[in-house]
Amino acid sequence: MAKLGIKTRALLKSPWVFHVATGSCNNCDIEILDVLTPRFDVERFGILLAPSIRHADVLLITGAGSRKSMERVMRLYEMAPKPCLVVCIGECAMSRGIFMPSYNMPKPIDHYLPVDAYIPGCPPKPEAIIAGIVKLIEKKKGGK
Amino acid sequence: MYAIYLIVYGIILTGVLGVIASWIDRKVTARIHYRVGPPFLQPVIDIIKLMGKETVVPEGASKTTFLLAPIMGYASISVASAILWMNQLEVTQGFLGDIIVVIYLLTIPSISLMLGGFASGNPLARVGASREMKLMLSYELPFIFAILVPIIKSNYSLRLGQILASQAGGNVFALSFSGAIALIVSIICIQAKMGIVPFDIAEAETEIMGGVIIEYSGTPLAIFRLMKHMMLFTLPFFLIILYLGGFNFQGIGILYSILKYVLMLVIIVVIKNTNPRVRIDHAMRFFWGPATIASIVAIILSILGI
Amino acid sequence: MTREELVSDLKERFKSDIIDFYDRSPTRIYIEIKPESLVKVASYIFKDLKARFNIASALDAKTHIEILYHFTLEYLRVLVSLRVKLNRDRPKIDSLAPVFKGANWIEREMNELLGIDFTGHPNLKRLLLPESWPEGVYPLRADYKEWDKNAVRDRGV
Repeated sequence: MAKLGIKTRALLKSPWVFHVATGSCNNCDIEILDVLTPRFDVERFGILLAPSIRHADVLLITGAGSRKSMERVMRLYEMAPKPCLVVCIGECAMSRGIFMPSYNMPKPIDHYLPVDAYIPGCPPKPEAIIAGIVKLIEKKKGGK
Repeated sequence: MYAIYLIVYGIILTGVLGVIASWIDRKVTARIHYRVGPPFLQPVIDIIKLMGKETVVPEGASKTTFLLAPIMGYASISVASAILWMNQLEVTQGFLGDIIVVIYLLTIPSISLMLGGFASGNPLARVGASREMKLMLSYELPFIFAILVPIIKSNYSLRLGQILASQAGGNVFALSFSGAIALIVSIICIQAKMGIVPFDIAEAETEIMGGVIIEYSGTPLAIFRLMKHMMLFTLPFFLIILYLGGFNFQGIGILYSILKYVLMLVIIVVIKNTNPRVRIDHAMRFFWGPATIASIVAIILSILGI
Repeated sequence: MTREELVSDLKERFKSDIIDFYDRSPTRIYIEIKPESLVKVASYIFKDLKARFNIASALDAKTHIEILYHFTLEYLRVLVSLRVKLNRDRPKIDSLAPVFKGANWIEREMNELLGIDFTGHPNLKRLLLPESWPEGVYPLRADYKEWDKNAVRDRGV
């Protein structure tokens, strides 16, 4: 197992999250808001809510990607300074869920962006979101 | 000789103490929210991570000003801190008028934030920078009036060393009426200077998406954050020299010094956690109203000798 | 005025325009009118009876396209719906946007999703669909076919 450089280790110990909603029903957005409250306390992992896309390390994407919003999300991904991880939260972001035949959602989000982790659920509980982020950190530490 | 002071005391020691102060701030805030806070090295890891990301300069920004603004702020806070340590360690090492130099240097970090905001080319950054400008116009006035109180009480001298020497022996300025009022006004003014709630109007996170620092990323952002951590150490240190007799490094004095600094830090953090953010016109009305009147009252009392 | 007075007043005043009057629920009234008299009836209900324009909904029944305009009268707890049935090949009706502003955006949405033409609308531009959507393709019609060659329509399992 290769030893990770100091850049990757520092990135995994202090990931600042940025929340992007692309045409969702807002349930996953409410659950993300719940994760950032004092009850679940993600600041012990170093996770803070980044106010601007230029400070972001992890993009949390919710909602099935509609045509109009995915143009903007592609621009947001270019604006984020690399290295940047992408996490899809909820069924709609993973595979469009029940909106697969819809006229406004042609492709799932991982046909537009390189996604690093998927967190299933409709909406996923805050404990599930934390478990997903921890699994992502463990996967990146494993050297992949 | 001065270079050693600058590098060792200004940059390295203030940097380390500033990072520890910022961790204390985050941990005490977490405990007030009834949760566990970040681990001890978290601010250091934040800065290392930011230095590892790429620096993005937006297309509409003026590149030189954008990249030089953080360095300007960092340099001025280092020099100001070096002057304060110089006076603290050996009282005769100051020069005439060094308190004016320190006041001047301590305004430059806010100006560098403003410059960075205006150079970003982003309308939200421009809003944040103009708010910072208005805030600076309002809190500098009672701050300078409150600094006049120890100058008057130590026989109208403009040397920091003289101010420290007149407080030797335990009769610090904060025990008199005028000193106490001036100390309270100063604590509120440095809360605005450091950009901490209730006065973090320039960098309002939920309103204008980060305000002044919206377009900063990578190493310039790391330098800005380090500058803010160092301000969290330097400004209470300045107030301790003016009102509470400075640090004392002999015997039991070390314990009292640490206690003085921790007390000021805890007051700042408790005010931060129990107040919402104020609007810019409320802040201006407060600083030009009650705060200025209180500091003028303190000046009059100190001239009368109380 | 009470609910019975409202019903009798509407039936009396627009006797020649009403095709059907459906009144079997205490809070809903459905009135089907001829498309030519839409502006007259809607202005009366909005201006003189002081109703509030709620929303307009449209659907594609296989033989025709129909639009429902919903008005609420809060002081009577009644929701009055005006139904117009349009020709499916060339659906065209007068716009209500000059009468009250609330109809402006909903008519733009009905135009781009179902292809209904509103004459007299000040600004019949695209509202919700992206710029790259082709002209003349209306997604909510019953005979809408997938035109996008790059769309992924299998679940991948």
